[in-house]
Amino acid sequence: MSASTVAEAENKASPATASDVVIETRNLGKIYRDFWGRKKVAALKALDIEVLKGEIFGLLGPNGSGKSTTIKLIQGLLFPTSGRAFVFGKDARDVTKNERIGYLPEESYLYKFLNAEETLDFYGRLFDMPAELRRERSEQLIKMVGLQHARRRQLKEYSKGMTRRIGLAQALINEPDLLILDEPTTGMDPIGSREMKDLIVRLRDEGKTILMCSHQLADVQDVCDRVAILHQGELRELGRVDSLLKVRDVTEVHTTQLSDATKAKIADLIRAEGGKVISMDNPTTTMEELFLDIVQDDRPGQRPSSKPAT
Amino acid sequence: MRIEPEQMWSYFEWLFYHYGLLQGVLVAVALAALGFIACYLISMARYGPGEGFYHVTRVIYELLARDLPRTSMRRIYALGRLAFQEAIRRRVLVVMAVFIVGVLFAGWFLDPSSDNVARLYISFVMTGTSYLVLLLGLFLSCFSLPADIKSKTIQTITTKPVRCTEIVIGRILGFTAVGTLLLAGMAFLSYQFVSRGINHEHEVKDMASDGMSGTTSYDAKHQHQFELIENEDGSMGGTTDEQKGHRHEVVVRDVDGQRVVTLGKPEGLLGARIPVFGSLQITDRSGNVGSGLNVGYESEYQKYIEGNSLMSAIWTFDGVYPGRFGGGDSLPLELSLKAFRTYKGDIVTGVQGEIILKNPDGRVESERRGFVVKEFAVDHIEIPRKISGSRDGQPVEVDIFDDLVSEDGQLQVVVRCKDNGQYFGMAQPDLYLRAGDSTFGWNMFKGFLGIWMQMVLVICLGVMFSTFLSGPVAMVATMTCLMLGFFGNLALDVATGDLPGGGPIESLIRMPLQTGAMVDLDLGNEVLETVIKGADQGIMYTLVSVFQAIPRFGQFNTADFVAYGFNISGGLVARHLTMTLAYFLLTSLIAYFFLKTRELAAA
Ligand SMILES: Nc1ncnc2c1ncn2[C@@H]1O[C@H](COP(=O)(O)OP(=O)(O)OP(=O)(O)O)[C@@H](O)[C@H]1O
Ligand SMILES: [Mg+2]
Repeated sequence: MSASTVAEAENKASPATASDVVIETRNLGKIYRDFWGRKKVAALKALDIEVLKGEIFGLLGPNGSGKSTTIKLIQGLLFPTSGRAFVFGKDARDVTKNERIGYLPEESYLYKFLNAEETLDFYGRLFDMPAELRRERSEQLIKMVGLQHARRRQLKEYSKGMTRRIGLAQALINEPDLLILDEPTTGMDPIGSREMKDLIVRLRDEGKTILMCSHQLADVQDVCDRVAILHQGELRELGRVDSLLKVRDVTEVHTTQLSDATKAKIADLIRAEGGKVISMDNPTTTMEELFLDIVQDDRPGQRPSSKPAT
Repeated sequence: MRIEPEQMWSYFEWLFYHYGLLQGVLVAVALAALGFIACYLISMARYGPGEGFYHVTRVIYELLARDLPRTSMRRIYALGRLAFQEAIRRRVLVVMAVFIVGVLFAGWFLDPSSDNVARLYISFVMTGTSYLVLLLGLFLSCFSLPADIKSKTIQTITTKPVRCTEIVIGRILGFTAVGTLLLAGMAFLSYQFVSRGINHEHEVKDMASDGMSGTTSYDAKHQHQFELIENEDGSMGGTTDEQKGHRHEVVVRDVDGQRVVTLGKPEGLLGARIPVFGSLQITDRSGNVGSGLNVGYESEYQKYIEGNSLMSAIWTFDGVYPGRFGGGDSLPLELSLKAFRTYKGDIVTGVQGEIILKNPDGRVESERRGFVVKEFAVDHIEIPRKISGSRDGQPVEVDIFDDLVSEDGQLQVVVRCKDNGQYFGMAQPDLYLRAGDSTFGWNMFKGFLGIWMQMVLVICLGVMFSTFLSGPVAMVATMTCLMLGFFGNLALDVATGDLPGGGPIESLIRMPLQTGAMVDLDLGNEVLETVIKGADQGIMYTLVSVFQAIPRFGQFNTADFVAYGFNISGGLVARHLTMTLAYFLLTSLIAYFFLKTRELAAA
């Protein structure tokens, strides 16, 4: 195969879908092998998801369900054993896609001997940013993540939350179009995690795409537009957060100043129509219930993954 | 000191005439082919034959079409700077402290009464420096990348638009910068140490009654004699005799009508003579071209000629122009021959020889000029430009540059031994024309440049190995290369079969059988012998190719040139620089492939 046909094969392989698909995985699977090539763990099995431009997409799942693996596959840090992943229509292993991505790893893997300013300057250089711009951006970001007082201290002296903050600043240095966050709120104090969530929503409103994974269900419920729930490397649930949480065979009515007589009338009406009144007031499920429902249901294949409910 | 013939080649001679270029290209092609096959086998095992081929070609395509063109200087600088900072934070400057302590205490164990103090000091500092710097390079380069992969900091790097070329080159450059910084410091201290160490002063102790000669005080374990001469303008001056490789200038001044005699600084200890080497031919007893005698030494380095016979050693020099020899008032010639005696002879006068200068056309030659061989030292002979000689057998006065040097600048120097039954031993570099001097400081710089290049090679190898091996294993691999590189000649001799005793299998059989290495292997079975020899050939051929690819570290070590006061020629430096660059490119390429095909998050 000559070089040019290799290139052509690559171009053909990239998805021809509309430009608003930012991330696409096709049948993506990963089996970790040991040194001798023996199979150790099937961490991810045949994942098909699409992340659209301008949405906050959440990957949800218990520990070891393959969330970080998915994120690493999408970034080309791992090579898939089956299927492919595309980012901005390019193969996950193409380096040029990184120019538009910001990544916050599970733990902030940063050089401990640099201080906050040096760190941002260093990563800025990796984006080939000129000195002026680097200075401006890092100034802005240090202020944004609230590390002004610690800007000259080496990262090895940082607390967990501070490391997380500088990690986030590092991910934003290039004003990315796509932000990939691996458990963004772990280690953050309540205010920090609130700020983080506000920031995620604000970035989305600016038109950026966010892929995040977390098991902080409240966070996911708060910010995500769509979620995929992984369990033991399999996709169990995929859809809009609001429609996933809607219990379809239950109707919820919110009104004000309803007299008991009226309530009784409505109940009669429902009964007359063949319905059954369970309760008249409380909202139904939460993310936590949905999650536990899926995860505790350990029989594989029992709950077929539903199609996007957009 | 021993100068190898290949150290006398000029740059272009090496590149084209001695196949330096070809060799480099061959090594590169062989490694590339090997690498390609290895990569293909690995990915075939992983993805199957067709897919495997696709993967390998894709990496090559990516390198040429994407990663190389988009490699950015700013990123390389950033990564290099990071490597530099990392090294500094790992307190590599301790190495400098070790060096300083070593130099401070060196005075205790370096013997100042040695015959050549300068040589001793120079060898000491340069050897010390090279060990320290090579170790430093080894540790820095082998552990950095594996540590980054282990601590996963590499993941934050590779998710930026960073090319694998940049990671590799940035690291090599960063560590080289650290090493250069330290080496520069050490070189400066070394220079100070040597120039101060040899510096000493004498005072006049005794003057003869006529005031024209005297002896100096006993300092630095020696003392000089001197004589004064009256110059043309009436002033007085002179130099002392030579002791331990140096002289002092004697200055006479008038202070208030009193004659004051003082002695200057030591001269001649720190030099860098520029030799012009020629090619050596030896004629046999009947005067025809031969190969010289072996007087029974194991080393074939020196060839011997017999005294009082037609045997002679003929050096032919190229490019002998007056401009090269300080205008050409005389032709300075230096020689250091070995004498091999078959009887004691006259121990006071020593073995006698003669030198004749000849035009290669054979028609003009100078008179014979006798000399007494100075063993274990360099003899300096200055031949005046106009000397008596003969043209076509007729005695005439000849001019060295006009008559004895041919049209194309060639001159022959013939050496014979006059004493019956005694022998002269010589190798090609033992007689040379001396084209002036370079400065010692500059020569020492070039010597340190040799150490620098060795360091760069170690760093390149270390970084290369660390892209696919863990830190300690990468270090062992680099050390192995270093060892093979230093003792490469021995390894090559074993591998090419130049050492008697056969290849690995044959030697294994010989050992329990206790057969001498010089007799042919005899197992009483010809087929078996052929098979063994064939297998040995195969193994040795592979070994030779492997050894060829390893840089010869020993060759980059030019400290002896500095210590023995020979100028390191620009050609040699250029050649070593070229080789360093070639190895840098080759190792970076290999490192790139390994890094590119490695799952950095799976470790
Ligand atoms: N480098 C590795 N080698 C072998 N197995 C691995 C490796 N990394 C992850 N795994 C396995 O792959 C599976 C998925 O791991 P992954 O890190 O993707 O989980 P996760 O969903 O991110 O979990 P968490 O919520 O704890 O971060 C786990 O069973 C894990 O043991
Ligand atoms: Mg994880």
